[in-house]
Amino acid sequence: MARASNQQIVRELKEGDQRGCRHLIDAYQGRLLGEAVHVFQVPFLDAEELVSDALLTVVNKIETFQFKRSDGDFHYWVMTIFRNRVRDFMRHRALTDGLLERFDEAALEDDESYSSTEREVVRTVIHRYEDSLRSPESETEHVGAGKSGKLQIVVEALERLETWERVLLRCRALEIPYEEIAHYTGKTAKQLKVYHTRVKRKFLKLLAERVPEAPRV
Amino acid sequence: MNHDPVDLLLQLAFLEGEITTHGLYERLAAEREMLDHSSDTAKLALLQRLEAALARTPAKDLSPLTIGVYLCQMREERSLRPQEVSSRIGIPSNIYKMMEHDRISPLKISVDAWRRLRQLFQIPKDALEAMIRRTHQLVYFQASFRTTLARYDARKKRELKAATLKKATEELFARAVLSLPPREQQKLNLLLKALAEDSEGL
Repeated sequence: MARASNQQIVRELKEGDQRGCRHLIDAYQGRLLGEAVHVFQVPFLDAEELVSDALLTVVNKIETFQFKRSDGDFHYWVMTIFRNRVRDFMRHRALTDGLLERFDEAALEDDESYSSTEREVVRTVIHRYEDSLRSPESETEHVGAGKSGKLQIVVEALERLETWERVLLRCRALEIPYEEIAHYTGKTAKQLKVYHTRVKRKFLKLLAERVPEAPRV
Repeated sequence: MNHDPVDLLLQLAFLEGEITTHGLYERLAAEREMLDHSSDTAKLALLQRLEAALARTPAKDLSPLTIGVYLCQMREERSLRPQEVSSRIGIPSNIYKMMEHDRISPLKISVDAWRRLRQLFQIPKDALEAMIRRTHQLVYFQASFRTTLARYDARKKRELKAATLKKATEELFARAVLSLPPREQQKLNLLLKALAEDSEGL
């Protein structure tokens, strides 16, 4: 059966037509679950809950949504809500289990894992992030607050890289295929694959320079 | 599966709004494979949750806009003068003014002008089609509303009669299901078909 268009979903939800809920689930539940599990490593059951919350927000806020340019506007809006829910999940995990708890084991099994020094740099930055969430000032801090952001140190290290290197790291972290990144970097997908690990190490080195308490890479 | 510590850092920066992919991630997410492992029970629970939330949301009047209302809104939003819009879509300014007041049938406007208008304001195809249908109904039936109501209210003062007519037309337009005669409907369908064919080529 053909999937309902975004225009149709929005129209139905705004009219209070309950078919809109079914169409919203058909169009977005699987897609967002895939992103949560595969890209952001959210465990499946948590991902189901997170996606439910995101879709519930879509229904609750549908009156505020308006198409400005095209049918795709709704997709971007849903993705923004989804991203905020994933961010909340990560913050919660940072404040409870800690972000590295489940993560290190898997990374250690990885053939391309980093040296203990490089891992220590990442651990230090993540602990700083976790501490910033616990501090009272973070309550009032806005997302995307630019220079005063929680992960400004990451942004600063990225800025020291060449443009194509920056694009490569940012995009690969979100599982964007090398072939797609190649369009924006002037390098072939094969070259990008080869350079990826090297650029990560360069980035860690730059990061280490900004973390005095971490060992030198 | 992505278990890389550097990627985790970059993902956090992305989620916190410190870095962006300028919409590339969102665009590609629409094309990626779905994960459809939720059980039927979980899906049903989610559906019930959403339906309950929707039932609590007051439904809004969603009558599609007319071309005139839409043009006025967009022009104001973008701070454009009527002459600027009319010259960009290639129609005389008096015709454009009639469009803004919903005084001219969309059938009188060429397909090319509609195409330019759609490009100018980036109007989604479905939205333009709904507005054209609504406006044509309004213009087509406006005359008969006026005649009928004028006869009914003929004894009243001229200003009051005009105001009453305007209000009555708006109310009728908002509430009524207006079925066009077959010939008018056919003409409207031809215009919409031409526009749809045109949009496929874009």
